Amino acid sequence: MLRRFRLEEPESVKEACELLARHGESARIYAGGTELLLAMKEGLIQYERLINVKKITGLDQVKLENGTIRIGALTPHRKLENDPVLKQKLPAFVRMEHHVANVRVREVGTLGGNLCFAEPHADPGTLLMVLGAKLVAERASSRREIPAERFFVDAYETCLEADELLTDIHVPALPERAGAAYLKFGYLERPSVGVGLFIAWDQDAAIAEARIAVGCAGPKPKRVEEAEGLLKGKSARDAASALAQAGEIAGRAADAIGDLHGSAEYKEHIVGVLLKRAFQQISEQRSSKSSR
Amino acid sequence: MATKSSFTIVGKAARRVEGIEKVTGQAKFTVDLTIPGMLEGKVARSPYPHALVESIDTTRAEKLPGVVAVLTRADVKDINPYFGHCLRDRPLIALDRVRYVGEPVAAVAAVDALTAQEALSLVEVKYKELPVMATFDDSLTPGAPILHPDIQGEGAYHELKKLQAEIQTNVCHHEHIEEGDVGTGFAESDRIFEDVFEFPMVYHYTMEPHAAIAKVDANGITVWSSCAHPFVVRAELALIFEQPLSKVQVLVPYVGGAYGGKSYTKIEPLVVALARKAGQPVRLEQSVPESMLTNRRHSARVWIKTGVKRDGTLVAREAKVLLDTGAYADNGPRVARRAATRIHGPYRIGNYNIDALAVYTNTCPAGSFRSIGGPQSIWALESHMDIMAEQLGIDPLEFRLKNLLKRGDIVKSGAKPMDADLLSDLKQVAVKLDWKGSAKRRTGSGVGLAVGVTDSEAVPVSTAIVRLLADGSVVLMSGSTEVGQGTRTVLCQIAAEELSVALEKVTMHSTDTNVTPFDRSTGASRSTTVMGTAVRAAAADLRAQLIEIGAEILKAKPEQIVLKDGEIIAGEYRIGYTKALHTYFGMPGGELIGRGYCRPGGGMSPIYPLFWETGLGGADVEVDVETGEIKLNRFVGLADVGKAINPPQCEGQDEGAAMMGIGHTLFESLIYDKGQPLNPNLVDYRVPSFRNLPAVFDTILVENQDGPGPHGAKGMGETGIVSPAPAIGNALARATGVRIRELPLTPERVWRALRDKSSK
Ligand SMILES: Cc1cc2nc3c(=O)[nH]c(=O)nc-3n(C[C@H](O)[C@H](O)[C@H](O)COP(=O)(O)OP(=O)(O)OC[C@H]3O[C@@H](n4cnc5c(N)ncnc54)[C@H](O)[C@@H]3O)c2cc1C
Repeated sequence: MLRRFRLEEPESVKEACELLARHGESARIYAGGTELLLAMKEGLIQYERLINVKKITGLDQVKLENGTIRIGALTPHRKLENDPVLKQKLPAFVRMEHHVANVRVREVGTLGGNLCFAEPHADPGTLLMVLGAKLVAERASSRREIPAERFFVDAYETCLEADELLTDIHVPALPERAGAAYLKFGYLERPSVGVGLFIAWDQDAAIAEARIAVGCAGPKPKRVEEAEGLLKGKSARDAASALAQAGEIAGRAADAIGDLHGSAEYKEHIVGVLLKRAFQQISEQRSSKSSR
Repeated sequence: MATKSSFTIVGKAARRVEGIEKVTGQAKFTVDLTIPGMLEGKVARSPYPHALVESIDTTRAEKLPGVVAVLTRADVKDINPYFGHCLRDRPLIALDRVRYVGEPVAAVAAVDALTAQEALSLVEVKYKELPVMATFDDSLTPGAPILHPDIQGEGAYHELKKLQAEIQTNVCHHEHIEEGDVGTGFAESDRIFEDVFEFPMVYHYTMEPHAAIAKVDANGITVWSSCAHPFVVRAELALIFEQPLSKVQVLVPYVGGAYGGKSYTKIEPLVVALARKAGQPVRLEQSVPESMLTNRRHSARVWIKTGVKRDGTLVAREAKVLLDTGAYADNGPRVARRAATRIHGPYRIGNYNIDALAVYTNTCPAGSFRSIGGPQSIWALESHMDIMAEQLGIDPLEFRLKNLLKRGDIVKSGAKPMDADLLSDLKQVAVKLDWKGSAKRRTGSGVGLAVGVTDSEAVPVSTAIVRLLADGSVVLMSGSTEVGQGTRTVLCQIAAEELSVALEKVTMHSTDTNVTPFDRSTGASRSTTVMGTAVRAAAADLRAQLIEIGAEILKAKPEQIVLKDGEIIAGEYRIGYTKALHTYFGMPGGELIGRGYCRPGGGMSPIYPLFWETGLGGADVEVDVETGEIKLNRFVGLADVGKAINPPQCEGQDEGAAMMGIGHTLFESLIYDKGQPLNPNLVDYRVPSFRNLPAVFDTILVENQDGPGPHGAKGMGETGIVSPAPAIGNALARATGVRIRELPLTPERVWRALRDKSSK
């Protein structure tokens, strides 16, 4: 059950970062609380002080600026799955958001909280990696951009410093000739395997760029460049026949762990299945787009 | 009581009598109550599956400001601390040793929950670990340590002919049934089939975890509890604390789901002992993880062997069901009894030899759970039926139809003959499932059938009182617990129909054992049938009184009197109940009381079982052969309910039961590793949710008005849980050719089976 704690309610990013700097390990950011409070109730973690950042204005907006979608870290999943800009520019992201947790968690849980908790069985990180997203972290007096690939260090561990606040997520809008998909699988409450795929074609319909990321199966989501290499420069047909091998490589790269969700072997297999299906999904979307 | 053919209230979709109260959040559950002076309790639990408790030091905990009492074994020396309705094997708090992870070792009462929780970490317990019997294989190994060398005798409610605890082993009950001669039967058989099936441990998951408030003072013991069996709790508390029944008051507010997990006695003795020590009322509100370590369903291994003639005639059956009953007997002996009778099945099979053993292990105690012993046995039996049919080259539907008992056929000697039309029931399910058309299906998709028939466990003892008040309103006093199943609505419907008053006139309050008359329990699909009979008898008693009074006032013969819409009518003369009461008592007050009993031989047949409860099922599945995931296109359930007093509630019960069965079929399993629970929380233990509903859900209610209950009703609500597992398993086999003998049918299990098959 929840122990006593002190609640701070800063009204600016600066104030929040100062509180973090002052209290160090004994304080923690409190966004939606769907992860934090659950873990605190279970007695798994304890903090003397929670810093509620929801009083800070402007961090729960989605904006399109110069071809980049800027998502405030405090935007709840529910808002993201219904956002008109995202629906138009990043439908794969909207679909992913729609399937995060359940509607109660989505209503209060934020994208920033999801990323910062770095619970391995989570979806957004994997997709953001293939979309080429950058995460913006702020300190009282400085600010840096972290590519999604470099954000996750281990299970429950990110590269954020103790006094850094995640404020924004910047996602480039999908280029003209490109598609993205995220598929996940699992039978427990949270996903067991997630695969993100981004494909861009050149004028001759050859794959100009492929990005593959796997999540949930191992301690952290990661890009699989070796598998991407198998698809690059290929026509759709050749790429499709290379998929099985790409899937095997991605499966191995996932660092799958055998646990209640399933054996490592099974998760590796599922990575391959999802990669194949993600590719199919993107191809189908592409052909339905071009036939329109 | 004549059977009626036209009804005004019975058989109608009457609205839930407590519905508005519940959906507006006004309904009070145990945790909503506040008793003056009430403290909050928390429990320190064993982290070890099996250990000696060497010492307990509570000094630091007691010194924490706000702590009023810390209860340990030292505080129960003046009472008999053992309880258990079957075997008194369970101390209300750990004595010399702990036998499972989660067993209460100390309990704190403090001014608030936070303080109590903090005090728990200050209780210092020294343990000495003992060898762990993690599974029944460990417990049954010759020379295994004996978990219960010190059972305190039989409990008051085991209701078994003989409790067969095998002294000096870890078998807490051994049920054996046999008939005919299996040796000859197998010799006469053309084919003999043998299979082994596994069934997982599963948790009830009620939205409301266990909760109780206790108060001990000069008036005796008062307990408010989320229990389903208040009268059993009363009896057990009276024994433990050496009080007459009249000094033990058990009150039951609304209960947020029970499913067997709140049957019999659970946390009440501990809370009473804590309140007794604190000298103040104490509330204990468990969390879901705590309740997951309080009670569960028995996991099982079922060995089944059947001899068959070439033409598909069943000849002989041998079976052995091993049930993991966990650290304490709880309802294990009765579960073993039912697992034994239920694996026999509703088929003509004269030679059988069946054993079922409830075996102690160092895991959470297992007890009642919707259809005790049913899902375990019938998962095995009905899968085995399909396996045999396939091997014999006979259509599984035809194979069942050939062997199913007809109405009136003897199931086994001494038992009530089959009282349902199983052949036509099964045919109806097959039609809904398009069984014939399914032959043309592509791979990966298929349909499967299962017949679930269980001998009702219902004990036919209930009492009811109906009071007609001066303004014509009616109070129904019945000890059936409203756990969400809708029993209040049904019982009020039965009373209103009998009394010829509108349903709104009848109110049933929650149980208070000081005023509500005795009922055996709420469970075993018995309330409509057994309590319903008592309620109808009580209402009929009242009705007779009204007729007599009416005849006197209206100067007519009793035979001329008709009761209708709250009026007594004789020809063209009529008088309302209210006016009649006023005339009778000579004042605008007074009340009439009707009483009704149901007991074996009195209103209810003494022959076991009271009725055969049916839950037939058909599943239409789609298998994702790449991932192994099973999707349900359709599930068809059929229940013979005799008479549906409230049809939508019957459908709700049947579909709810099927959904729960789909849970243990596809998702649920409480996993232990060497006695340590790995997933006692709702993130890692998966109960099905709305997105797992079958795309189409059909429920067929069969009504022949032939049950032993009021208006020909018979029990339902449990057996619907047994068919999903074998029906889905059978559909999977027909869709893909793989047969899985262990639940749940997780995607990985299915995928592995598919892979193994294709690599062969
Ligand atoms: C039942 C359940 C099912 C779930 N299923 C899924 C699923 O299917 N897929 C999925 O992806 N996720 C799932 N989740 C996770 C869910 O998405 C997260 O709980 C949610 O997004 C976390 O956001 P929050 O705002 O509640 O975070 P909080 O609980 O408030 O915070 C989480 C952590 O992040 C830190 N933090 C929060 N915001 C910031 C910030 N801006 N800067 C720095 N640190 C910060 C906090 O200090 C804390 O340590 C599930 C969760 C639950 C409870």
